[in-house]
Amino acid sequence: MSSALHCATLAAYILATGLYLAFVVWQRRSLHLAGRVALWAGFGLHTLAICSAWLESGALPATNLRQSLDIFSWGLMGASLVINLRRDVMILGALTAPLCSLLLLAASVLPMPDAPPSKLLSSLWVAVHVITVLAAYGLLAVTFLGGVLYLAQDSLIRAKNLGAAFRRLPSLTRLDALNHSALVAGFILLTVGLITGAIYAQIKLGSYWRWDPKEVWALITWLLYAALIHTRLVQGWRGRRGAWLGALAFGVLLFTFLGVGLLFPGYHAFDSLPKLEGNLP
Amino acid sequence: MNLVLIGLNHKTAPVEVRECLAPKPEALEESLLELTELPGVREAVMVATCNRVEVLAVADHDQAAQAIAAWLAGNKPLEPEAVRRALYSHRGEEAVRHLFRVAASLDSLVVGEPQILGQIKEAYRAAAEAGASRTVLNRLMHKTFQVAKRVRSETNIGGAAVSVSYAAVELAKKIFDDLHGLSALLVGAGEMAELAAEHLLANGVERVLVANRTLERAVELAGRLARGEGVGLAFGLGDLPEVLGRVDIVITSTGAEHMVITQDMAKKAVRSRRGKPVFFIDIAVPRDIEPRVGELDGCFVYDIDDLTQVVEANRESRRGEAARAERIVAEEVVKFNRWLGSLDVVPTIADLTKKAEDIRAAELARTLHDLNGLNPEQKEALDNLTRAMIKKILHDPIMFLKDQHFHASDRARREQLALVRRLFHLGENGED
Repeated sequence: MSSALHCATLAAYILATGLYLAFVVWQRRSLHLAGRVALWAGFGLHTLAICSAWLESGALPATNLRQSLDIFSWGLMGASLVINLRRDVMILGALTAPLCSLLLLAASVLPMPDAPPSKLLSSLWVAVHVITVLAAYGLLAVTFLGGVLYLAQDSLIRAKNLGAAFRRLPSLTRLDALNHSALVAGFILLTVGLITGAIYAQIKLGSYWRWDPKEVWALITWLLYAALIHTRLVQGWRGRRGAWLGALAFGVLLFTFLGVGLLFPGYHAFDSLPKLEGNLP
Repeated sequence: MNLVLIGLNHKTAPVEVRECLAPKPEALEESLLELTELPGVREAVMVATCNRVEVLAVADHDQAAQAIAAWLAGNKPLEPEAVRRALYSHRGEEAVRHLFRVAASLDSLVVGEPQILGQIKEAYRAAAEAGASRTVLNRLMHKTFQVAKRVRSETNIGGAAVSVSYAAVELAKKIFDDLHGLSALLVGAGEMAELAAEHLLANGVERVLVANRTLERAVELAGRLARGEGVGLAFGLGDLPEVLGRVDIVITSTGAEHMVITQDMAKKAVRSRRGKPVFFIDIAVPRDIEPRVGELDGCFVYDIDDLTQVVEANRESRRGEAARAERIVAEEVVKFNRWLGSLDVVPTIADLTKKAEDIRAAELARTLHDLNGLNPEQKEALDNLTRAMIKKILHDPIMFLKDQHFHASDRARREQLALVRRLFHLGENGED
């Protein structure tokens, strides 16, 4: 059931990718509206796919790289759709639709976890921890994409190059508002995710903080985003400097998410997650 | 079909002539009634804008066109001969083409400007209310609106700004999204800056501050722009460092020989605005704003040359779009002419006969298929029978149509033809 839903989700995202690319070329509002419907439908299917996989295995399906990419793309799509309800940056779908299609394609070819998930992972605490952290990743990815668009539009205006790209990109203020809301919401969710993780570690593993590589890098990421918010709110780094710092923070975030999970041993590593053991009650 | 279009525009007549010919809005209905009472004029629409005065009419004969021209030139405090020289007149297909081109803004002073379509719609509404626009013009005007819409959606003719003020507003919208609630600052109280400020206000900017070497002029201009007291909005040049942090858009146009806004001032201003961007428009020669201001985060500087270049590039692209628009117009003119032609008698008779024959052939084939074993004579008898029936039934309608052709007036004939076509559901040729 979950794999059929997975394929349906992928099909909807790919359809939306086509619609949005057509929108970028021809600039018809109807194409954007159709693309948005396809994305919402895809996101609904995606949610169902994750829920059904959750029911099938008994734990939130985020125990290896394949499932983590799946949930990350779900977080990214959800974040961009919800943020766009207020911000209406039409061109955002032209980035998130292909990106999520690629993420899901990558997930499709990666192996399923080879062992059933450990009992420790079926707790609701873990589900909250994983969903908030990955939704935060999605929101912060939206901030990154918005920052890239901002830098592009900013440099077009500075270069006095007011051609097709200039007309298609949204205004700086609108992109800034998008980045701002995604950043603040993402930071709040990231904080909640780290705290719930620490609390569950205290309950099950006996300590809040174990110097696991993932924990350390997550802290570094959190500090960088705290700095990003601070410079934005206090020093007014919204323009190019903010976008560049946001790109740096997102690079570190990606390393925390993928690099640390693949390269470093530790209980968060993708290949040891399913076998996680602790002092079970 | 006797469509005529008579008028003058910005290319053929100076503004003194155009403004004399255009009726006042309250006198428009009366003018339309006068027009329809001219000999041979059946229907009329009058388009009067600041750039053109045109009468579109359905006329019975050529003298009607002359009557309209005489009416346009007469009773005006102008030399009638001067008006006549400025008038152009188009007939039939050419009149349709001219109207389509005007509505699609291909004949405008600024090609692609959007107001003209609204003005033509207004003119049509007035004519329809006065009863001066009927079958043919109703149809023609609706087609015109469709053509203009098609040109607008299939070409980018209205897409890019072609004046410096428009270009500035377009840029400001790509920086601030929406100009509502923003503040602008004029540095220097020149006429061009005032024009640009008017344009910004028309696009939603909330208030315009003025800083000038002499405070009196600043107060005067600020008051004029605010439509009231300008004291709180006016400053001397010495206040610039402080005022700069309070505005989103800055337009400089002083005659000063030195830089009026330095990078340092701009940096402080952006910092006091917590990084919110500032758009600097420098229309002064020599320039008033240090070019290095444009390197700062959140500062965008366009000088008069930059804006002129933007406008030139846009004009260039509009010329390309205009060529595509002309093709659309040509296509639509052909379609409309086909419809006009279909209003004539002969095609209607042909359509009617064809429809009846098609029905007869289909029904006969079905019947012969069901009745097996008929010999050829019997088949031929059935064929003759149905043929005769069709002929007798159609005889009177066809006689009626021919009668229209020879005896009815143009208008009556068109109305009767339209009725017959509707009655027999013949469709309207030239429809898309």
